[in-house]
Amino acid sequence: MLAFIIRRVFQSVIVLLAVGLVAFSMFRFVGDPIENLLGQERTVQDVERLRETLGLNDPFPVQYARFLGRAVQGDFGISYRQSRPVAQIIAERAPATLELAFVSGFLALTVGIGLGVFTAIRRDGWAANVIMSASLIGVSLPTFLIGILLIYVFGVQLRWLPTFGRGEVVQLGWWSTGFLTQSGLKSLILPAITLGLFQMTLIMRLVRSEMLEVLRQDYIRFARARGLAAKSVNFRHALKNTMVPVITVTGLQLGAIIAFAIITETVFQWPGVGLLFINAVQFVDIPVMAAYLMLISVMFVMINLLVDILYVWVDPRLRIDGRHA
Amino acid sequence: MSDLPDATRQGPKPTERLETAEVVRPSRWRAIWDADLAWSFRHSPVAMVAAFVTLALVLAAIFAPLVATTNPFDPSSLNLMNGFSAPGVPNAFTGETFWLGTDDQGRDVYSTILYGLRISLFVGFMAVLFALVLGVTLGLLAGYLGGWTETVIMRVADVQLTFPSILVALLIFGIARGIIPIEYRDQMAIWVLILAIGLSDWVQFARVVRGATLVEKNKEYVQAARLIGRSSGAIMLRHILPNVLSPVLVIATISLALAIIAEATLSFLGVGAPPTQPSLGTLIRIGQDFLFSGEWWILFFPACTLLALALSVNLLGDWLRDALNPRLK
Amino acid sequence: MKTVIAAVLLAAALPAGAAELRFATTADPNTLDPHAGNSSPVFSMLGNVYEGLVRRGRDMSIEPALATAWEPIGDGEGWRFTLREGVTFHGGEAFTAEDVLFSYERASAPEADTASWFAGVDRVKVVDPLTVEFHTERPNPIFPDSIANWMMMDAGWAAENGAERPDIERGNFATLNTNGTGPYRVTERQPGLRTVLDSFDGWWGDDRGNVTRAVHTPVQNAATAVAALLSGELDLIDPVPLQDIDRLRAAEGVDVIQGIEARIIMLGFPHDAEGLLAGGEGNPFTDPRVRAAVAHAIDVPAIVQTVMRGAAEPATQLIGAGLRGYSEGVTAPAYDPDRARALLAEAGHPDGFAFSLRCPNDRYLNDEAVCTAISTMLSQVGLQPVLETMPVANYWPALRADDHDMYLLGWSPGTFDAEHPLRFLAATPDEAQKLGSWNFGGYSDARVDELLPLIQSEIDEPARQAMIDEVVRIMAEDTAYVPLYVEPLVWGLRDGVEVVQRPDNFLNLRWIRMPG
Repeated sequence: MLAFIIRRVFQSVIVLLAVGLVAFSMFRFVGDPIENLLGQERTVQDVERLRETLGLNDPFPVQYARFLGRAVQGDFGISYRQSRPVAQIIAERAPATLELAFVSGFLALTVGIGLGVFTAIRRDGWAANVIMSASLIGVSLPTFLIGILLIYVFGVQLRWLPTFGRGEVVQLGWWSTGFLTQSGLKSLILPAITLGLFQMTLIMRLVRSEMLEVLRQDYIRFARARGLAAKSVNFRHALKNTMVPVITVTGLQLGAIIAFAIITETVFQWPGVGLLFINAVQFVDIPVMAAYLMLISVMFVMINLLVDILYVWVDPRLRIDGRHA
Repeated sequence: MSDLPDATRQGPKPTERLETAEVVRPSRWRAIWDADLAWSFRHSPVAMVAAFVTLALVLAAIFAPLVATTNPFDPSSLNLMNGFSAPGVPNAFTGETFWLGTDDQGRDVYSTILYGLRISLFVGFMAVLFALVLGVTLGLLAGYLGGWTETVIMRVADVQLTFPSILVALLIFGIARGIIPIEYRDQMAIWVLILAIGLSDWVQFARVVRGATLVEKNKEYVQAARLIGRSSGAIMLRHILPNVLSPVLVIATISLALAIIAEATLSFLGVGAPPTQPSLGTLIRIGQDFLFSGEWWILFFPACTLLALALSVNLLGDWLRDALNPRLK
Repeated sequence: MKTVIAAVLLAAALPAGAAELRFATTADPNTLDPHAGNSSPVFSMLGNVYEGLVRRGRDMSIEPALATAWEPIGDGEGWRFTLREGVTFHGGEAFTAEDVLFSYERASAPEADTASWFAGVDRVKVVDPLTVEFHTERPNPIFPDSIANWMMMDAGWAAENGAERPDIERGNFATLNTNGTGPYRVTERQPGLRTVLDSFDGWWGDDRGNVTRAVHTPVQNAATAVAALLSGELDLIDPVPLQDIDRLRAAEGVDVIQGIEARIIMLGFPHDAEGLLAGGEGNPFTDPRVRAAVAHAIDVPAIVQTVMRGAAEPATQLIGAGLRGYSEGVTAPAYDPDRARALLAEAGHPDGFAFSLRCPNDRYLNDEAVCTAISTMLSQVGLQPVLETMPVANYWPALRADDHDMYLLGWSPGTFDAEHPLRFLAATPDEAQKLGSWNFGGYSDARVDELLPLIQSEIDEPARQAMIDEVVRIMAEDTAYVPLYVEPLVWGLRDGVEVVQRPDNFLNLRWIRMPG
């Protein structure tokens, strides 16, 4: 097991290095940062000078090596857009994204499990069928459209909820939280639903199918035969056994939520790292893009590692192969 | 855009058989079709409706030139002054009437949906096919061969997961612009979309197939095939592949819906189908600009079409998952 | 400060009639350093904080700011400015001629993004604490016009904080902090998220409304901004998507103010390309008849009517009516598809030819829709345009690399004078002379090149105008560009908010009056 973990960590480092290399090879296709940095009255000399100072004339492996050298020391460079250290900007923006991800993840998990259990127990009931079908609407429209529709209904027509931003935030040390004010909490609702809808549907369907499977296993049948209450059977025995796949999938999905909050943050002008990234793409802010991608890969790689370890631990069949992996 | 669950745990574990492949494949599939699938289909009204809607939309797309009233991709038929005609109301400038209205370019929304559906379905099918072939191949290789092959493939999958599809799309657009001659660029955008969506989608196929392969390859029938001296390639293709296909089929169905939506999202971020030949997703992206201004039909009809399509395909996927899972009988 | 209670207390502490303005624009200024950025979002924001020697009034005319008077030196040797007395910076430092000299050195340094304004300036001389002279190589009649966005910074403050020179790459103290003489101070700055401006009580002027605090949020998604205005979360948004104008006019509690921006949208041609991207034989666009055919094929009024919702004005030349040097008596080529087809046949292309039409899709109002319409119209006269739209981050590099045939371009004249687009778009590209740097198609006309320096140094207005008229005529006859329309400027407001809208699209907080 230890050897497996060590080998996987080693592989993970290689993955990270590869991500960086791919990232740097593609930045020049995103555009030319100089176009945004200088105004329309700039001269060719201005452009050349800035290009030289920013090291954009070097081949991308050189740029990448320089980035790596600094990144190892915790220096992710200076944002072209904001002329500030990237690490500082990401630290400022991270709480917004993490809080949003947490709330939508929590929402997806609780509602998803609840509805999943319900639709499994009432497998053939009309309510369960309606929920199953209706939940698909959420994954049958693009996220940006769902967001805009929610804004239109709850923000503009009903005026119940804010249409953009985080509302008032309270600063706790370097962490800014929207959990402590009313406007902060209200601002969270629409983006959290938009972001979590897909995962909610997913978890609900997963719980349902796992529950259906577990419910027809022998030990559940025995439990029923022994006369245990339905509630106890459903929740204490059946649900418990569906949790491992749900947890692993949720783990992977948590990564997806954070990584793909980009669209939701754009629609709701949510001041998180996703919005930062999309702005960086538009502005060709290479240091920000690089740092963001590295951060996301670290997260993905770590989650994958944990999930794989969990699998090996849970499923003995995979343990043999784990040795070769 | 999405990452479906690793279906090693949710996929069905097909019954183990020791027959040789020649006997197993045709009879097994026909048996399922005759007995299980068809029966299940006949007894699921939801699946029947979904299949009907899907089929109707696919046919409408294929025969768009016959059922559409105009060809919105033919510039000579367009008149900009027809723009923003409301459904069923004669245009103030030209007096023409369009039953589903027109968009900002004066294109008939009904015809544009039909032609857009064509592009969306084509992009969706091809992207999923691309992801499926790539993912299944790599997944089989990883699961069966193990060792370094597996390590490299699965770590490449990790790298792939890290890149948002928007960035992949930008990259491919950038390279394509550099190397493809201009006369092919009209079609290029479509292929770039297919590549971008397919590339961000193959990982889930690979993961599922690898997981299922890991389980399958230790079973007696595979061991037996190995003992009688079959080559690895033959074993993978004729023994393992048929047994991991059902989860793949389920994922493919759901991916199709997701690919069509992903195309809309890419369009929202500015790298979608060309505006002269809008896909369903591009229509929605254009239409959402008119949500507040009262020209609701530009968004509403394409959105309903996308919803009907994605919903039907998803419902079919749902039904397929249950029907192919022998333990849920 | 951040809790609701604190906000209420703060509101109570404000003087009577004071008001807070919450406004959103698409872009956040990428720096607060007035010499490190040369873009409209930067000047729009900083115009409230910093001031120049001169400024533009409500009607865009040049008026005194930190200089009370100015006059040419001798026979066009330069300009002499008399400074305003008793002006202090937000930090309390007095404004003197030394600050002008420092700001000149800072803004014209190679590290600055504003150096081009001072290209013809030989030296700057402090005559006395209230008099400064700018000596120019050649007579420069529009020098005061060209420095309206040149902002004064305190020499001592900059030195104290290590910001003597702007730093575009790494940023410095002045990137995030300000110390101007203007009516507002920046009291909070979260780049890309939120900027708060509070009024500066020590301001020398008195022409101001009742906004004591302004909170700026950049909102990129137009639909989000419209929703926030409708729901009452914002007081002012810029821009309003054209299609939402009517809806906002009709909606309760909000209004729309509409004007014309100084930006002209035009089509450019590949004048100097050997061949087209699409291949084929040679470059048909070198034939003026082909270019004229393109101009006749485009129904600009229809584009203005539908795609631009009637909000834009058709253009006849590279600047809009009303700006200095506008040439009267030039008309745009009429929409005439038959004539376009005839011209194409005459030029030997009866069946048209294929070419690339490049457009940005996130730069100008409805840019993609306009290009789609143009592409359709060109197809209808038998041409075969291949429309390619892309984000602006990819667009400029493509144009700069000559990877284009026909392309869409917008141009705002920084000096609000006809000379500006001529220098950047009409002059034969010449890196050494800093000419034609945005003339991507390589348009070149000997007479135009000959007239440009004369226009630049001619002090006599009628003589100057005659030369500009000649250039405009040459370019129209040549169809050097196809000017399409002047971009509209549309802001959404909460009912009762009074604003002044100028063609440069700057938001002057001091002219805003909020309802009581």
